[in-house]
Amino acid sequence: MKIKILTWVWILATVATLGAAADAPRSNGTATATVRSSADADAMRIEGEKRFRTNCGRCHAAPHKFPPRMMATIVRHMRVRATITDEDMRLVLFYMTQ
Amino acid sequence: MKSSVQNLRHRCARSRTAGFVRHLLLFLLCIGPARLRAQTSEPPAPVPILTGNAGFFTNVQNGTSQIVSEVNPVVLLPLGDRWLIETRGEFVGDFQPKWGNGPYGGTVDKELDYLQADFIANPYVTVTVGRFLTPFGIYNERLYPIWIRCLQPVPLIFPIEEGSSNGAMLRGGFPLNSAVNMNYAIYFSTLTTTNGIDSDRSLGGRMGFFFPGPRVEAGMSWQKSLQDERTNAFGFHFAWQPNAVPLNLRSEYARSYQGSGYWMEGAYRLSQVNFWQHAMRRTEVVGRVQQFFLGHASWGGDSEYELPWANAQEADFGVNYFLRDGLKTTVSYGRQFSSAGDFNLWTVGIAYRFAVPLGRTE
Repeated sequence: MKIKILTWVWILATVATLGAAADAPRSNGTATATVRSSADADAMRIEGEKRFRTNCGRCHAAPHKFPPRMMATIVRHMRVRATITDEDMRLVLFYMTQ
Repeated sequence: MKSSVQNLRHRCARSRTAGFVRHLLLFLLCIGPARLRAQTSEPPAPVPILTGNAGFFTNVQNGTSQIVSEVNPVVLLPLGDRWLIETRGEFVGDFQPKWGNGPYGGTVDKELDYLQADFIANPYVTVTVGRFLTPFGIYNERLYPIWIRCLQPVPLIFPIEEGSSNGAMLRGGFPLNSAVNMNYAIYFSTLTTTNGIDSDRSLGGRMGFFFPGPRVEAGMSWQKSLQDERTNAFGFHFAWQPNAVPLNLRSEYARSYQGSGYWMEGAYRLSQVNFWQHAMRRTEVVGRVQQFFLGHASWGGDSEYELPWANAQEADFGVNYFLRDGLKTTVSYGRQFSSAGDFNLWTVGIAYRFAVPLGRTE
């Protein structure tokens, strides 16, 4: 019985690990936001909003959210124009598209 | 008999427990990865955008009225994961009454502000080639669009940093540590005399440090002209958005062969006022003081903006009311004190920022 349970646990852990590995973030300059739990997602959303207010508010009133594909373009444009950091860009995009 | 029943119950209980555990594990096995996938957010593919701003203003300067209508379309074309082609045109209609009280007439100025290709090489460097806004100070690159600027009249020293360059640029921003981000831009520009896309032969750069905690940014700029008098220009900028109040403080100092000066501006959003909340949170009051000290030569040329012809100081006060996101009305009053003569400057108008996708957004 214990062996069966351990086998199931091992299978579960393997699948979860493979799933997590498949979701590993890329580091190629694109805005990739990967979340592994709802707690992480909430934390990223809160941090993203903070970065959004901090960075965007430097120049203009914070705009409303646009559709996700538009936000991806706008954030890329602002990364160049306002020289915001790669991490800020990822978090702001995550916040603005969730 | 009794013991065999107990054994049977015990086996059944163990069987039920094992079944429960098996089903729980099966559930987790099936649901777990699905939940992981559900919470994994791949970035949306960017779509080309037509954006920009439009505005209509009435200015009264030294008793002479002027109607300005302006459209600045911006096209953003993302390519792949790392490229962005971006361009902005400027169409400004400047109309004044002819012969004093005659009908309004004037011209429409057309200019290509930038047409650049950006390649995001890595988190630290973006390579830009083409025609781009000269990275000197913060007003020209960041605060110039009419829907962004808090006061429609530009600062007196703006012509020192105004302009576009044709060439190549490296720029980027990255964290030095958890408390400070560094940003930079260095560029080289060639001489171009074609009308509408003209530029000077120069090189220069800007470096800034942004402290996200207190929301303070400070930096400096430098430019070396590689033609004519081969002069230098340099400047400093400072910005602060305190966390406790909706206040935006900005300032710049610039010194060049033509002159030097500074401006300091504060914009306060009345969202913390306790009465008329609906209107107050949409209202922003702005004040700016500035001085200009004439240098060795007047600016001249056919630039849209010119430096004052004499030492000058000016104070401006304005109110912006945000009707909705990207749409604001603005009114301001300023008075310039100058050895060439004092005068008032009134401005009232409306500015709108638009953004339209040029493809599917879903």
